[in-house]
Amino acid sequence: MNLIEKILAKGSGRKSVAPGDIVVAEVDCALLHDLSARSCREVFEKKVGGKIAHPERIVTVFDHQFSPPSEEKAAVLLANRRFCHEHGMPLYDCGSGNIHNVAMQNGHIKPGALVVGSDSHSPVQGVMGCFCAALGNDSYAATVMPFSKAWFRVPETIRIELTGQTMPGTTARDVALWLCAEIGEGKINYQAIKFCGEYIQSLPFWDRWLFTLMAVDVGAKAAYIEPDRTTIDFANGLGLEDYEIVTDDPGTTYAAEWRWDVGKLEPQICFPPTVGNVAPIREYAGTPVQWAELGGHGGGRLVDFEMAAQVLNHRRKNDHVNFNLVPGNRHIFREVMKSGQAALLHEQGATWFPASTGSNQAVNMGAMAEGESMISTHVRNFPGRNGSPKAQMFLASALSVAAAAAAGKIVDPREFI
Amino acid sequence: MTSSTETRAFQTARRGRAWMFGDNVPTDQIVATKVVFSPMEVVLKHVLEELKPEFPANVRPGDLIVAGVHFGQSSGRAIAPKAIQAAGVGCIVAESFARTFLRNCYEIGLPIIECPGASRLARDGDVVSVDLESGTVRNETTGQTLQGNPVDPFLLRMLAAGGIIPLVRRTGSDLGATNT
Repeated sequence: MNLIEKILAKGSGRKSVAPGDIVVAEVDCALLHDLSARSCREVFEKKVGGKIAHPERIVTVFDHQFSPPSEEKAAVLLANRRFCHEHGMPLYDCGSGNIHNVAMQNGHIKPGALVVGSDSHSPVQGVMGCFCAALGNDSYAATVMPFSKAWFRVPETIRIELTGQTMPGTTARDVALWLCAEIGEGKINYQAIKFCGEYIQSLPFWDRWLFTLMAVDVGAKAAYIEPDRTTIDFANGLGLEDYEIVTDDPGTTYAAEWRWDVGKLEPQICFPPTVGNVAPIREYAGTPVQWAELGGHGGGRLVDFEMAAQVLNHRRKNDHVNFNLVPGNRHIFREVMKSGQAALLHEQGATWFPASTGSNQAVNMGAMAEGESMISTHVRNFPGRNGSPKAQMFLASALSVAAAAAAGKIVDPREFI
Repeated sequence: MTSSTETRAFQTARRGRAWMFGDNVPTDQIVATKVVFSPMEVVLKHVLEELKPEFPANVRPGDLIVAGVHFGQSSGRAIAPKAIQAAGVGCIVAESFARTFLRNCYEIGLPIIECPGASRLARDGDVVSVDLESGTVRNETTGQTLQGNPVDPFLLRMLAAGGIIPLVRRTGSDLGATNT
């Protein structure tokens, strides 16, 4: 069996499982954000009710709203907050950060665990060597809350090996954006991905994150990286204990095995209307942008702000661009303040926002008017997701976002390193 | 067994006018974020309007949605299939579905079926019939028939129960899945 099959077998009390089996398994951790917590709470309260089996396992992060912009939204947050307190479920309130980033940083994700999440990008947590899939909203009310269980169809797994080392200016984010288009949106629906190879192994933990993050965009149910020294060091650094290192059995076979070399890859950009549209960024050089943002599921990492600080070290941001900085969690904001880079970026004209999921869906910030464009580290670019359906969202690396903020237009970031 | 009785009592055939949609339709364009928490009667005035402005006013109970690959991608918001269900759509036929959307549909009791070739099967307004159990999808206007993927018996039982919450009431926490 592979890592996912072993975790699902253990969770469902079976000796073994195979792709296609439907199992009901014990859930170790469930993640909800302010939007999904509302839907799940309402369904639970109206149609199910009663006690929550393991309240300590159900983690809520208010990440779309760092401060409610209306009375109606304040009332929703208040109801969610009361629901968490009533049942003793952990809550990370407004200003804590992005759901995935907060859950990881605060030790809720352990190697070998069975994790579920309401957000579609939940498979990102497989970076820790666990199983994590997004569930339908009603699964939380029907089985996760009352029984700490969920149903799963055991997925087939595709092994994706990345070899080589990237050129200067090409970051892990560029590789992940490019790989999404190489594989194709929705191409591997219902299957899981194992990421491996010398390139993946060479990456620091938070760069590996960008690969399991994009799995859902190619349609995958889950993704994982087998735990190694990097994973164990990271887990221990968070103070995690009592976790289990699960790996693929020797001789494990996969539904498919694909391999790419990243050595010749240039910096990339993803252009509207969907995440499968990716090209070398130089093809879009000169496109004006009014907004640039480091934040969301694919950004707001410490390394993103370090890259931005390099670009803006001796250079102010362009007057015609608003440059938003949104830390993925509070720990990151503290580190960037301690290093002095928070002040540097502030002095060069960038604007710090509270730790949150930033302009993701423009719930609390990030709406654009018709004709405006943003370049960001976010993960989605569907028209209408950030204000006007006639505004454009470009997705790129933190380096490219910062370079665009400096130039006032999309540029090849290699000019800035 | 009770489960097979339930499945037999459940109507696995669906028939209605087709509404055609393309590939990679995101939930953001099924129910936009701006109305995601509005009451259902408000959501229904906007469902799928970004892609077909006439859909909210003209959709009738029993109509079918027929679409391309990766239908329902993006946000896992259950309001997207709930709005389609509330609009009266009897079944969604697509080449493939995004898996959170697929899961949401079965969990709320909205029938869906995967059918390769579906995006070229019909035009808006053609009458399409579907059998969830056998997987056949037929354009009754043109006579063309396709073989879709029969719905898994476990998921058929979930649909027959009316979704995951009523299924749990009948089966308990194991959903009757331990022997499948």
